[in-house]
Amino acid sequence: MPSPDQSPDSDEPAHSRAAVRRTYEDIGDHFSKTREYAWPEVESFVDESGSAGTALDVGCGNGRHAELLAGVADRVVGLDASRALLQAATDRVGDSVALLQGDATRLPLAAGSVDLAVYVATLHHLPSQTARRASLNELARVLAPDARALVSAWSTAHDRFDADPDADAGFDTSVDWTLPGGETVPRFYHIYAPAEFERDVADSDLRLVSLELSSGNCYGVVEPEGKRT
Amino acid sequence: MKEDLMEIICCPLDKHDLDLEVTERDDGEILSGQLTCTECSETFPIEDGIPNLLPPDMRDEAPA
Repeated sequence: MPSPDQSPDSDEPAHSRAAVRRTYEDIGDHFSKTREYAWPEVESFVDESGSAGTALDVGCGNGRHAELLAGVADRVVGLDASRALLQAATDRVGDSVALLQGDATRLPLAAGSVDLAVYVATLHHLPSQTARRASLNELARVLAPDARALVSAWSTAHDRFDADPDADAGFDTSVDWTLPGGETVPRFYHIYAPAEFERDVADSDLRLVSLELSSGNCYGVVEPEGKRT
Repeated sequence: MKEDLMEIICCPLDKHDLDLEVTERDDGEILSGQLTCTECSETFPIEDGIPNLLPPDMRDEAPA
């Protein structure tokens, strides 16, 4: 059973972003093989977005969602902290996506350079609220004024967790990944209460356009706060 | 990486432009080289065609 192992606001926790990255270096190859299909919620968002100049996938993993973006954008950038996952992405998406190794809280992209973005199942791996909010501000910074992005995170509504989805705040936990040999590798997660997800977005430089709960995840469509209407 | 990526990438630390130094190129693809921040001079390697723009504190510990 997952259980809270630290307060959501504790800043330099036992888990660092570098440790999270190393976890995916260890399990990346196997993890990637189990992440074959794009999520339908992401597919709908990309389909409805129409064509874009530059698209970005933050936490692109093996590239399954960057691949969708390549169908609508002139240029796609896939960013991940893990080299093992980027290697898997190279095999999957080849030339159609420009791959970058980087940190979601300090994006190596120019302000306003992105017209469409997805930030899927990655925010919940950042081990402090400060880091999670920093990553939302970084997403806001790189988005062009008219750009939109889809942000998703695991939520307390997931049936895996015995948690109250109406709670005000979520919790930190560790979810094991089991390698083919039986070895388990713990992965840090912050499980978001939907109200907390809304609050983190509202307190960032992003504006929440819509929020949906689907398959136990929060999906927020966001745009930069300074958007000119 | 392709050279036109230089239009949008920047230093993850101070967001200034990067200088590109190519070590190995295959067709239009840059396979290895180095990116250097024009402001803070931090360097970022390009390995196997993928720029490593992780801030220094996120990289692997220096090998023994």
